[in-house]
Amino acid sequence: MFGALAVSKISEAQVQTPPTSLTDDAIKRIKGNCTEAQASLTQLHASDALLRVTLGQLYESIATKLMTPLNSRIVLNKLDGSSLVSAAATYEQQLGDFRDDYQVYEQSLSDLLAIKCQDRPVGYFDGLTKARINREKVHDDVEALRKTSRAYGDNFEMFARKQKDAS
Amino acid sequence: MKHSELIAEAKHLSGWQRHKFLLLVGLTIVTALFLVTVAMSLYSSSGTAQLDLSRPGYKSVRGQAPERSDFDAFPSDGPIDKDTFDSFRKIYNSRTQKAAKIDGFSGDVLDEKLLLNDGVPQQQ
Repeated sequence: MFGALAVSKISEAQVQTPPTSLTDDAIKRIKGNCTEAQASLTQLHASDALLRVTLGQLYESIATKLMTPLNSRIVLNKLDGSSLVSAAATYEQQLGDFRDDYQVYEQSLSDLLAIKCQDRPVGYFDGLTKARINREKVHDDVEALRKTSRAYGDNFEMFARKQKDAS
Repeated sequence: MKHSELIAEAKHLSGWQRHKFLLLVGLTIVTALFLVTVAMSLYSSSGTAQLDLSRPGYKSVRGQAPERSDFDAFPSDGPIDKDTFDSFRKIYNSRTQKAAKIDGFSGDVLDEKLLLNDGVPQQQ
């Protein structure tokens, strides 16, 4: 039941791409290159998993071990850290998007790897297009997290300056 | 108790009483299968499967997995003063710079050229 719900959620989120019409020459080239491409994609699948684990841990530690404790400390000292709280909330939201979008991307890459490219070159090409679009979304999430962590840092510096001036 | 007495006693048992051990084994297997299905669904749908580097496909990168935690959390209680700011700034900058150095998930590697060598396919 849980699996069915999750699969339907992922399916909704996946990018729908119309089937591509390819020339005979393009199909021939896909068939000729796809075995090599398949090997590269298998390697990419593994290195992306490692990247996801590395980045995920890093992003999560920034949120849970730095942003949240500092925000709590500011509140406990009865100071106004609303801009930091707001940036941290945005960061958490983007971290959730990163997790979800990576899941969708990984699923599309796994689906692509399951296609027999010699038998279904057009499906394989479409799968590659879908995986690329989903990967771009993950890349956008990474950029958004980077931007928000910078914004949190800027807000922190402003807060520190304000406290210095006040004391 | 003699064998004949056991047979006589068994004749008085109902079908349920005679086969209850088999039913117990069967129900145990069905329950175990159900729980395994739920667990596997959760493993897959929660995204845990995608982070599980112990899976066979991830053998080549397993050894490079980072340590779970390499720094302590910033203390959530205490005063807010210059030392607090300096200490936080140092840790925060080091973590965000580390994250910024990793170029994550650029789309170039899945370019169509991977399959077509010489550019975008012609549309029919």
